[in-house]
Amino acid sequence: MAVVDIKGQNNGLVFVFRPGTIDEYITELKKRFEANPSLFRGFSVTFRGEALKNLTSEELGALQRLCLDYGLTLALPPSSKNTRERDTEGSDIIVKRTLRSGQKIIHDGSVVILGDVHESAEVIASKDIIVLGRLEGVVHAGCFGDQSSIVLALRLMPRQVRIADKISRPPSDSPPNENPEMAYIEDGSIYVREYRVPLTSRKRASN
Amino acid sequence: MMEPSNGGQVVVITSGKGGVGKTTTVTNVSMGLAQLGFKVVAMDLDIGLKKLDLIMGLENRVIYDIVQVIEGECTLRQALVKDRRFPNLFMLPAAQTRNKDDVTEEQIKNLCAELKKEFDFILIDCPAGIERGFRNSIAAADWAVVVTNPEVSAVRDADRIIGMLESAQFQDIKLVINRIRPEMVRGGDMLSIDDLLNHLCIDLIGIVPEDDGVVISTNTGEPIILNQRSLAGRAFYNIARRFAGEEVPFLDLNHTGSLWDRIRMFFSKQVG
Repeated sequence: MAVVDIKGQNNGLVFVFRPGTIDEYITELKKRFEANPSLFRGFSVTFRGEALKNLTSEELGALQRLCLDYGLTLALPPSSKNTRERDTEGSDIIVKRTLRSGQKIIHDGSVVILGDVHESAEVIASKDIIVLGRLEGVVHAGCFGDQSSIVLALRLMPRQVRIADKISRPPSDSPPNENPEMAYIEDGSIYVREYRVPLTSRKRASN
Repeated sequence: MMEPSNGGQVVVITSGKGGVGKTTTVTNVSMGLAQLGFKVVAMDLDIGLKKLDLIMGLENRVIYDIVQVIEGECTLRQALVKDRRFPNLFMLPAAQTRNKDDVTEEQIKNLCAELKKEFDFILIDCPAGIERGFRNSIAAADWAVVVTNPEVSAVRDADRIIGMLESAQFQDIKLVINRIRPEMVRGGDMLSIDDLLNHLCIDLIGIVPEDDGVVISTNTGEPIILNQRSLAGRAFYNIARRFAGEEVPFLDLNHTGSLWDRIRMFFSKQVG
């Protein structure tokens, strides 16, 4: 039996590590990658398995680098030193706190944050990301390739917005918009527009 | 914050970034608390890069250090250095020839539990960074003070540290803004107190203006709090009073415009 099992899941790959040595893992992965390079390219990969706990961080780093070398992206880095939340897959979560620098949320589903996302904080979700506060950090919506994902924030001023496989940076000279904004993909690129309350409810509000 | 849990309270003074004034804050606030009549220990956990002894002006009184206490070479009482100005103020020096891996969180907890029986406040001078030294420093603390400067690099590190303290289940985290220059804030060249509070979202416990006297006091080992005419000294004294649970109003630097300038000029003439 192979020391690494490769499974597909939600547009991504899961590598399940069985007990073995780092050399066995590297040989096995190389063999699988070489056999069909184009099969792996572009997929995000998650590491799983009890055997991972026996690896040093250098060894894990080597495995991650190997994956990156063959064009894979890393969905869930195995170290869990930072604050990191992994909840039940596929469901949406509401995070009722502010994410500070260095904190990271990775979630399979949509993420709603009741608070700010500070600079150098990260939110990665397989669907939409909605921030009811200031968004200054890095966000990646639709991280497994869902192009219909959106990023919405009351103050959208991130370092970088990533949706599916697209990356966009706000122009450095644009003044911050005081209104809620939404980033989305259209014709293959990321656009940002002001998020307006639908007409009907606005009329009601003014009456 | 102020309720004493089985005796004294352990407070860690931390920042993430180096050079923002952790040791200066520990020195002056512990001295202020001693002035207010509390029994205080200032504990240096920057093992390998100690400076609390220097800034407190007690360098040549150090005989034993914290690692020797932990390793059983001396007793805790032998290692505590008594301040020459306040009989109820003590300092526990770090070892310069050792490093942060030589002590464990458990050992620091035991040490603090011992000190809590006898002292009202144990102030821990935390090393810069987020590694072993930081984890050791926060292990035994009841609450935390984060020191920052009004500049983006210090604020980002403070944000990171606050996040880590929150993850470590700290309920009570207070902010000291050090080295603020009101005239630069007014000119729009420095982050304002409001900017900082807006971003970091924690309670303020002190605002300390930039003061050349701090450099001088560091060199002479006479903490700035002993200088009654210094604004920074008064700010540190106010922090000590807030530690003790007093409600002390903040110096309102935003709206004191010309008055502030006049006070500054007055004092700079006086102090020279």
